[in-house]
Amino acid sequence: MRKLFSLAVLAIGLAVAMPATAQQTMPEITIYKNPQCGCCENYADYLARNGFVVTVKPTHDLVALSRTAGITEEFQGCHLGMVDDYVVSGHVPVNTVKRLLSERPPIKGVTLPGMPMGSPGMNGEKTEPFTIYEIGTGTATGTGAPKVFAVE
Amino acid sequence: MHKYTHTRISRRAFLAAGASLAATTAVPVGNAIAAETRNFRLVVAEGRTRLAGAKYPDTPVWAYNGAVPGTEIRVRQGDRLRVSVDNRLGEETTVHWHGLRVPNPMDGVPHLTQIPIASGKTFTYEFDVPDAGTYWYHPHQRSFEQVGRGLYGPLIVEEKEPIRVDRDLTWVLDDWRLMPDARISNDFGNFHDMSHNGRVGNLMTLNGREPENFGVRSGERIRLRLINAANARIFSLNFTGHRPMVIAYDGQPVTPHEAPESRVVLGPAMRADIVLDMTNRAGDRFTVTDTFYRGMEYDVLDLVYGPKQLRDRPLQASLALPSNTMPEPDLAAAKRSDVQFGGGMMGGMMRGMMGGRGMSMREMMRNGKAWAINGVAATGHVMDPLLKLARGQTCILALNNDTAWHHPIHLHGHSFRVLSRNGRPTRYREWQDTVLMAPRERVDIAFVADNPGDWMFHCHILEHQAGGMTGVIRVA
Repeated sequence: MRKLFSLAVLAIGLAVAMPATAQQTMPEITIYKNPQCGCCENYADYLARNGFVVTVKPTHDLVALSRTAGITEEFQGCHLGMVDDYVVSGHVPVNTVKRLLSERPPIKGVTLPGMPMGSPGMNGEKTEPFTIYEIGTGTATGTGAPKVFAVE
Repeated sequence: MHKYTHTRISRRAFLAAGASLAATTAVPVGNAIAAETRNFRLVVAEGRTRLAGAKYPDTPVWAYNGAVPGTEIRVRQGDRLRVSVDNRLGEETTVHWHGLRVPNPMDGVPHLTQIPIASGKTFTYEFDVPDAGTYWYHPHQRSFEQVGRGLYGPLIVEEKEPIRVDRDLTWVLDDWRLMPDARISNDFGNFHDMSHNGRVGNLMTLNGREPENFGVRSGERIRLRLINAANARIFSLNFTGHRPMVIAYDGQPVTPHEAPESRVVLGPAMRADIVLDMTNRAGDRFTVTDTFYRGMEYDVLDLVYGPKQLRDRPLQASLALPSNTMPEPDLAAAKRSDVQFGGGMMGGMMRGMMGGRGMSMREMMRNGKAWAINGVAATGHVMDPLLKLARGQTCILALNNDTAWHHPIHLHGHSFRVLSRNGRPTRYREWQDTVLMAPRERVDIAFVADNPGDWMFHCHILEHQAGGMTGVIRVA
């Protein structure tokens, strides 16, 4: 193991915007997460219970990865999933992830910013609907006005 | 004994030769002055240094005297230290002498203890050095960026009668968040780092370089002064094949004991002095690893035994350091105060307060706050004191980490004894100035409030400090 961790990880991040590949029946998702964050592990378990093949990769580079994926700071979730060339940021419910994978819109992915109470993997009771935003619409760099992808 | 230390500094100065200020001397000046006053000069400026391996370019940094770490300030217990700080940065700065019990006006906290040193200005710090030990210096002005860009250096106070070792070495540990071109990532102060575990980097360095293998001799006794200068990274160093003996924490002597599980855990700003006896054979090789973050363990360096044996049995000399000068807390007469640390992701972030009212996460994010002490998310350095302590009073602070994250909590102007963790007495009642609290942990500390003034009391994960986990304790 070397000391220079991120440069390889960043290279993975740069591959995010590649064109879609063939769909899989059991979607494989890689979750990049803070090594000390328990909620992200709960979210990974939730995905696994819902039929995803989940790989969890702890990283100290979530901020850089999210930025590379085109998510501005205000819209970042606390972990980053990569599934079928889409980015899924934060505690996005599986129905929305599955809809993303079946409709395959021309966007980079979706994000549920913040860590809403009661969202998958989070503690507490849901107090308000979850608003899930598109990543990569507006402008190519994702800096345009965010569009809502789903409200659950 | 200090031959090796000097060799190391020369090598570092050589490595920093590309820096614009490399010509600045790193040695004490004014030797004509009486031996007990030691003069140093620190030039604070941009520079360049080689952090990563040969295939990466130099990294633009902010540095003391053009080097990272900055000049090792080395004095003798009881000396008077005079340091002239010349600020050639484009912004204000200060220098805090971390762990040294200095008079309040010399503590280096902007606005609270001094007017910050403006760009282009000079300020001279001068104080007596009461205690021996391993300390360090760094800015307290926008420290999450100034320290993160390379402003820190070791400050070693030698005992009047040091213990016998073959080599006395300082290892300053740090990490950096570098871009693929080896430049420092500019995302200081972002909300993700602030509200999670701080700015943990992607390149670990030892004395400002990616660690290289380290040559030792069979039978040798080495005193290693470990300093964690990282903004946020916690280190857990494993010395496989050896028995690291801890002789001091945060500069303060402790009953010599083997590090639990041969592992030395250091939160940001913490130090440990360990003695390593090289008990293996010529030609052997052992890897030092850092295993703090699960799934992200890595090799730091190899201890490589050279072909020659220095001696065939370890030294039998005592490891016990002479006591320092802190007054012993009078626990029977102590005043007890509760201190609650709250906020952060996954925790009671919504319960954080600012200006006396509750805040939603979105609101906290807009205000750039994520943490609170006793319900207050602080801004800057000047604020109403969290606690007012009578001078000379023994104080017990019952610290409660009501968050899901680690926090190394630092008190300025004093060292304290760590009495208990989660209600269980500590074995050595160690003196510290920065105590690492695990998530949900309760830690009782005690000290005599003998140093008058307003003192910072804050988390030394520098993003947590900026994010509100900071307070002032007044001793009057």
